Amino acid sequence: MSDSIEKATRTNYLSFMLAGEEYGVGILRVREIIEHRPITRVPGMPAAVQGVINLRGSVVPVVDLAVKFGLPPRPITRWTCFVIVEVNLDGKQTAIGLLTDSVSEVLELGSDDIETPPAFGTRVRLDFLLGMGRHDSKFIMLLDLDRLLSVEELLSLTTAAPPDVSEPTSAPEPVPAPAAASEATPGEASGNG
Amino acid sequence: MSGGGSGPPPGLGAEWQQVLAIFADEAEDLLSSMEETLIALEARPDEERLRALFRQAHTLKGSGSSLGFQALTDYVHGAEDVIQALLDQRLAVGEPWTSLLLGSVDHLRELSRAAVAGVDQLGPAHQAHLARLREGGATGGPSTPPPPGVLPVEDLPLPVETRAAARGRSLRMDVERLDRIVTLTAELSIARGRMTQFLMEAEASSASWDEALTQQREMDSLFHALQEEVMQVRMVPVGPLFRQHLRTVRDLARDQGKQALLELAGEDVTLDTAVLEALRDPLLHLLRNALDHGIEAPEERRAAGKEACGRLRLRAVHDAGSVVVELSDDGRGMQRERIKERARELGLVSPSERLRDEEVDRLIFEPGFSTARTVTELSGRGVGMDVVRRDIEAMRGTVAVRSQEGRGTTMTLRLPLTLAVIQGFAMGVSDQVYVVPIELVQECLELPVSQRTSEEAGMLSLRGQPLPYLRLRTIFGLGGTAPARENVVVLRHPDGIVGLAVDHLQGDGQRVIRPLGRLFQDAPGISGSTILGDGRVGLILDTPSLVRRAIRRAAERSDYQPGEAAHLSDAATRAPTFRDTEQ
Repeated sequence: MSDSIEKATRTNYLSFMLAGEEYGVGILRVREIIEHRPITRVPGMPAAVQGVINLRGSVVPVVDLAVKFGLPPRPITRWTCFVIVEVNLDGKQTAIGLLTDSVSEVLELGSDDIETPPAFGTRVRLDFLLGMGRHDSKFIMLLDLDRLLSVEELLSLTTAAPPDVSEPTSAPEPVPAPAAASEATPGEASGNG
Repeated sequence: MSGGGSGPPPGLGAEWQQVLAIFADEAEDLLSSMEETLIALEARPDEERLRALFRQAHTLKGSGSSLGFQALTDYVHGAEDVIQALLDQRLAVGEPWTSLLLGSVDHLRELSRAAVAGVDQLGPAHQAHLARLREGGATGGPSTPPPPGVLPVEDLPLPVETRAAARGRSLRMDVERLDRIVTLTAELSIARGRMTQFLMEAEASSASWDEALTQQREMDSLFHALQEEVMQVRMVPVGPLFRQHLRTVRDLARDQGKQALLELAGEDVTLDTAVLEALRDPLLHLLRNALDHGIEAPEERRAAGKEACGRLRLRAVHDAGSVVVELSDDGRGMQRERIKERARELGLVSPSERLRDEEVDRLIFEPGFSTARTVTELSGRGVGMDVVRRDIEAMRGTVAVRSQEGRGTTMTLRLPLTLAVIQGFAMGVSDQVYVVPIELVQECLELPVSQRTSEEAGMLSLRGQPLPYLRLRTIFGLGGTAPARENVVVLRHPDGIVGLAVDHLQGDGQRVIRPLGRLFQDAPGISGSTILGDGRVGLILDTPSLVRRAIRRAAERSDYQPGEAAHLSDAATRAPTFRDTEQ
């Protein structure tokens, strides 16, 4: 296999920790990483949308993905930071800050390092995943930011909502699910966890 | 030149784009003037106007042909023929011909935009229309009016963006102003250099605070002058927006078999371009409403002893730091009996409730309110005045209505001069800071001990007058406990005064408003944000929506309220979170 072809299909991802699990986003979507700063809360927003911060004069929304994935909020530590990513919100390029527990590293992954996620068992809803990156015998959840950070998705979740009954009972149901799988289907069963 | 655009002369890419942009602007201006002239002509035929119309068409033809837009030029030529025939009195000035020419103006708009985008050719509808123009122009005597009917407006196969971009996001600017800005910037950078030097040497030269402050003040005044100039760049006259509606009113009235004329005043009053843009939709809605509900059919008007042709008057004036835009009609006025009836049906008022006339009038701003018996093309789809109110209040404006039955209605919009900067009053709750426009603040007072609760709302007596207040900590779900001393900021509100209970007061200052963006556009009670002195973000409160929400919540609790009103019962069955009730 020629080395140059190998190189061409490799992509860089920035990985970070969220509530004990490692996630990755395409490096080209990352604008910068900044340390934690006070958040201004915007009333009436779902819990995952934590509020806004001042990024050199622009007002940037910040999102806690862990809350969106149905996990409780975590304390702010000295490693907590915001990964500022660019997304397209209703046709407008917008910067959004992702609250992360710590930023890990930049990974280069080839297409054969990326697995299709299994039908159940991931903490994140399948349609939010681009795939799972294999790295040092663990998996890094590669997030599909366009799906995850659309206006509808960001505004859809409500605090302390009961498990969403509208979600059709699908594949995982008959399987006696281990702990992690209980979060599999209703990714939006968010809130206090 | 069939099928061909005229390409750029070789080696002139960027320049050609500039030439096209100039042509696009010019064509747009000329066509708007033609439209205005035609509508004026229809109201009062006059040779001077006809000549003006001819000149406008001729100029357009000239600039079109100089760029080689053959199809466009041919088409204008056809229109010119008709105008010439009107000038020669071979044709009589009147509705059929003005309508035909107004149709041509529409076509010319399409054609010029298409030509700029590189498509210079006539579609079938254009050709048919041109044929009628030529026929008219060739007429020897006053005869054969063109067949009436709506002109098909044809869309050329254009790249979509060019149409969307037609209302460009560009602004013309006075060169003198630009020069002043450049000068001020230069002065400011000199002052900044001096400041840097001063600070570097401060310790060695043991300079005093006074000297430092003097340096700072010098920069400050330059900065304010610069800010003033830059803000002025955003100010544009309301005239062009107003004038667009001359045509709207004529065409909409005609569609309904009515006659109406729009009169304009205060066209040179200037507004921030963002305010003007935000005014566009509400204004159109008000005009449609006036035509649909206000202006009567010609017979009805004559029977009431009025002229057959209705009059709408659109006026702008500066008034105490804001701009007032007023639309009045001489129509039938608000039919209060019907409004009351409808409000009872919707459960907005109880059958026994007695309302003053102004209170009845204000009902039209309630969500979902519409008295139109039938849904027409114009209005009455149930989305109506509440949307107008929401849009206007979203830019910190107010709407008021005054009406006299049988005599007409006046809608008054009060708008801020700019959306970019406010003089704001800041207050803190927990670790959050909220800002309200200073002109709303009447006074501040300490909350009496008896009122120390964590209730959402309460009432206290202000010099013997009841003052209802809202506790922001509870309303915004900030949690935590209030400090030993809470304060109340008393705000003016269209319906009286209202208080906001907060932890501490932070005083006033100039605040540059930052939009919150798409994600937060429906955030209840919040209209924008601003960067605070310490670098954090403060939220700007939308008091009217906070108050409305409080009223709704109170109504949900009270007994007499019939639960039929869709929006009330709906909200009540869901969890009473802030978000739910507001939407």
